[in-house]
Amino acid sequence: MTLSKIAIAAALLFAAGTAPAQGTGPTDPQIAAIVVTANQVDIDAGRLGESKAHAKDVKAFAEQMVKDHTAVNKSAVDLAQKLKVTPEESDTSKSLKKGGDENLANLKKLQGAEFDRAYVDHEVAYHQAVIDALDKTLIPNAKNAELKALLEKSRPAFVAHLEHAKHIQASLGKKAG
Amino acid sequence: MLGIRVGAALAGAVIATAGLGAGVPARGAEAREHTIVIEGMQFKPAALTVRRGDRVVWRNQDLVPHTATAAQVFDSRTIEPGASWTYTAGKAGSLGYVCTFHPGMKGTLTVE
Repeated sequence: MTLSKIAIAAALLFAAGTAPAQGTGPTDPQIAAIVVTANQVDIDAGRLGESKAHAKDVKAFAEQMVKDHTAVNKSAVDLAQKLKVTPEESDTSKSLKKGGDENLANLKKLQGAEFDRAYVDHEVAYHQAVIDALDKTLIPNAKNAELKALLEKSRPAFVAHLEHAKHIQASLGKKAG
Repeated sequence: MLGIRVGAALAGAVIATAGLGAGVPARGAEAREHTIVIEGMQFKPAALTVRRGDRVVWRNQDLVPHTATAAQVFDSRTIEPGASWTYTAGKAGSLGYVCTFHPGMKGTLTVE
């Protein structure tokens, strides 16, 4: 778990480090791909959560993640089409996908309360990493005003998800104690 | 002094009479329309006071679906991004409501 958290944080924060030669950060097409991948990774984890979660509130949270991140992705894809921006893979988007696949592989091995705890722990870390990436890398580097606005508009949803996940994490901790 | 008291009593009687018809605009005032914008995972304004018979429109300007739900009184069900939902204020009182999808989202609608 700790390793996968580090992998995600590193992937997102390295977004700045994977910049093209002129070197100020990811380009708009790269940002578009990072956003779509970040949402898709959480949708995939949420789908697994919908089917495997043990506690009712964890299952409901997973359903909410699928619903909200699907909605955010629709806006992102619609905007990319409108702006004629073709999302472009970067090391960041590839690392995100890889980190997401590793998380899924880890979660698939777990059952019941153990699954719930691992899923929710990862959701807390993941949403925190995405918020940090939005603030430090994605929003500051977005050139197109509409893309920047979309990133800013998506931020409160990630914050609400983080708070929700932390709340569930605390209640799962109490049950265990 | 007496005149003021009588006037106040009459006004009270008019309000009481208007109060009998549920959903009827109070004191013959025009029903107004109020908008609550859902944005940034918040209801804006979070607290709103309206008169009975007024229409309250929740407009979802967020990227994700929301609801405006007051247990036993009203439930918008899913309001998709870009969509809106209207409730005509019927029952007087102060009413707490939530988004059933996002437990942190809370608002208060006061109906006079």
